[in-house]
Amino acid sequence: MGGRIMSLMLKELIQFSRDKVILGVILWMYTLEVVLCGYGMTFEVKQLPIAVVDHDQSAASRALIEKFDLSEAFTVATYATSQEDAALSMRKGDAQYGLIIPPDFQSMLKRGESPSMQVLLDGTNSNAATLAKDYTTQIVALFESEFRENLGAPTTVRPVVQIWYNRTQTLESFVVLSMIAVAALMVGSIHPAASIMREKEVGTIEQLMVTPTKVWEIFIAKTVPTLGVGLLAIFPSLLVIWWFGVPLKGSLLLFVALTVVFLLSAIAIGVLFAAITRTLQQTLLLCFFGLFPMLFLSGNMTPIESMPPFLQNFTAFSPLRYYMDVILGIFLKGSGMAELWSPVLHMAGLGVLLFSFAAWVFKRNMA
Amino acid sequence: MKLSRILAVILKETREILRDRVTLATSFVFPLVMLFGFGYAVSLEVEDVRFGVLDQDQTPASAALIDAFDKTNYFTLVRAYSSEQNIQQSMQSNEVKLVVVIPPNFYTSLSREGAPPVQLLVDGTYSSTALIALNYGMSIVSSFRQEAASRINIETRVWYNPSLQSMIYIVSGLYAVIIAAFPPLLTTLAIVREKESGSIQQIYASPLTVSEFMIGKLLPYGVISAIQIASIILTGYYWFGVPFQGSMSFMAAASLVYVFCNVGIGLLISTVTNSQLLAVLLALVVTMMPATLFSGFIFPVFAMAEPVQLYTYLYPARYFIELSRGIVLKDAGPFELIEPLLLLILYTSIVLTSSVLLFKKKVA
Repeated sequence: MGGRIMSLMLKELIQFSRDKVILGVILWMYTLEVVLCGYGMTFEVKQLPIAVVDHDQSAASRALIEKFDLSEAFTVATYATSQEDAALSMRKGDAQYGLIIPPDFQSMLKRGESPSMQVLLDGTNSNAATLAKDYTTQIVALFESEFRENLGAPTTVRPVVQIWYNRTQTLESFVVLSMIAVAALMVGSIHPAASIMREKEVGTIEQLMVTPTKVWEIFIAKTVPTLGVGLLAIFPSLLVIWWFGVPLKGSLLLFVALTVVFLLSAIAIGVLFAAITRTLQQTLLLCFFGLFPMLFLSGNMTPIESMPPFLQNFTAFSPLRYYMDVILGIFLKGSGMAELWSPVLHMAGLGVLLFSFAAWVFKRNMA
Repeated sequence: MKLSRILAVILKETREILRDRVTLATSFVFPLVMLFGFGYAVSLEVEDVRFGVLDQDQTPASAALIDAFDKTNYFTLVRAYSSEQNIQQSMQSNEVKLVVVIPPNFYTSLSREGAPPVQLLVDGTYSSTALIALNYGMSIVSSFRQEAASRINIETRVWYNPSLQSMIYIVSGLYAVIIAAFPPLLTTLAIVREKESGSIQQIYASPLTVSEFMIGKLLPYGVISAIQIASIILTGYYWFGVPFQGSMSFMAAASLVYVFCNVGIGLLISTVTNSQLLAVLLALVVTMMPATLFSGFIFPVFAMAEPVQLYTYLYPARYFIELSRGIVLKDAGPFELIEPLLLLILYTSIVLTSSVLLFKKKVA
């Protein structure tokens, strides 16, 4: 019996290794894609392109503009001649922010009066707009305190920000880790689904049925190799994690163990997809798009608290959501089982449920 | 090129599509699922973030600062600490996501230079929340006494999305993503399926030319995609209230180009592989993921590192997002959007010609 499973798994492995390109794609997903995301994904406002209309052309206005340009948040994309000109740039998307300085800016400041400046915000990206507005206030305040000799004004309260767990990284760690979790989900489900479906379509699964192998041996042979691939793929991911300086504060062993638990759910989903479809195309379509809702509900793109309440309840069914808690907790907070017992329990529960259900469906299909 | 042969391919393809209920259902249902999913589940607004406060000052001023946080929609006060020790445990157990620490001389130093800083401690683990919450927190703190100090009036006007709803931002970009998802997948599977099952040999053996075959395959899926995009735009407009400021016909034209671009990419992918699994994975990695992550759909391109910004030029979704957001939200016309439009057209032509050239007809 052991021998049969072994030979079945060997067959799977050989078939898998023949698909060099697929290996390449999987590797890409786990590494390069994650790297790109790490450099690209951010909710910060950096280098926001500005269109500047300087009606004053004075030392003061130039100093103000320079403050904007030198800041991390903004960069001057174009000097427009009028508001209409700036508006054109904004419609084209060349700038997402219009700064209009009135003609008597410097003179009013010198006289101790209050000049006005206009800011046109592209509200398309509401988050960026809100942040841009706040940064504007801060930059203007900075400009004022440097420019004016008048010291009698009360100081504003200065916030000092300390990011608790992500001291040196900001979004990068989060993005890298969540991309790895997503890659695990995708690969974990597509691989067994495709492997089962291919044999179903070609008909070799019938041949398997005629042999002395039991159904559960076939099931194991189809699912365990994916575990192997998933675990192996951890190592290139660790490279990427190291590259981005994502800290590993917790136990690597715990991470590997919990990844196995997560993969069980992913594999189970893949098997289920394969069971309810008739052709490989349908299976793959289902994998592709059936996994998407899970991505939304994982807190990956959006904090779970921000979702409407009825959707928050749905997130309880997403194994990815718990795996995210686990992976972020282990790496960034150094959490152990003591802190993570709740998501681990949920994940294990879901995993066992889905896996047994998948096994049962598989057996029914084969019989 | 004979029209009758093209029509024959179209007919065969259409019949096959109509027979496959699952694929049909997926093609029409899932775009809407994604639309609703993204529309409702993905929200960049932060609401009711649980925060705690360590008030070492205990004066009316510090109370006013706390109140400034609590009365917004962004934050909800759940915990007041008596000492620093409880903070770490509280953060680690996720009881709060943000802690405001007000130093002992807060009130008295407000009117002096060198005021001791207010500390904002954020759980940076879920960085998207953290960063946004942090920035809101910082702005609340800095504007606490700002108005009196500042001489310069800043008049702000928000264009294109005055209510600053993130849903409008997301839905207006979703068109690009959904069209990047289906056409390449369906088209590439349509061809690779035949390759895997061997029925492609019949095509090779027939008098059908490569272009006739490709056009015949391309059109039915183009039509499906056109229906998809129309349904998304209509649902976006009527259900989500995404405004449609610009020209319908320009949008239709741009969408058409984009649809054919993606169908062409599907064709291209099908020429390089015989395996359906690989075709799907390639489609995933080459179209859907970049369209979601690197096109400016959620994460703005301007904030990306320079090399990554260059990388985004590889993907047509990036051009179409500029087009769709420009048309739908800013009423931009062909004049303003000439750059992305031309680039998209160029891209499409390159893709379509390459796929025709690469599709080698092999004689059995």
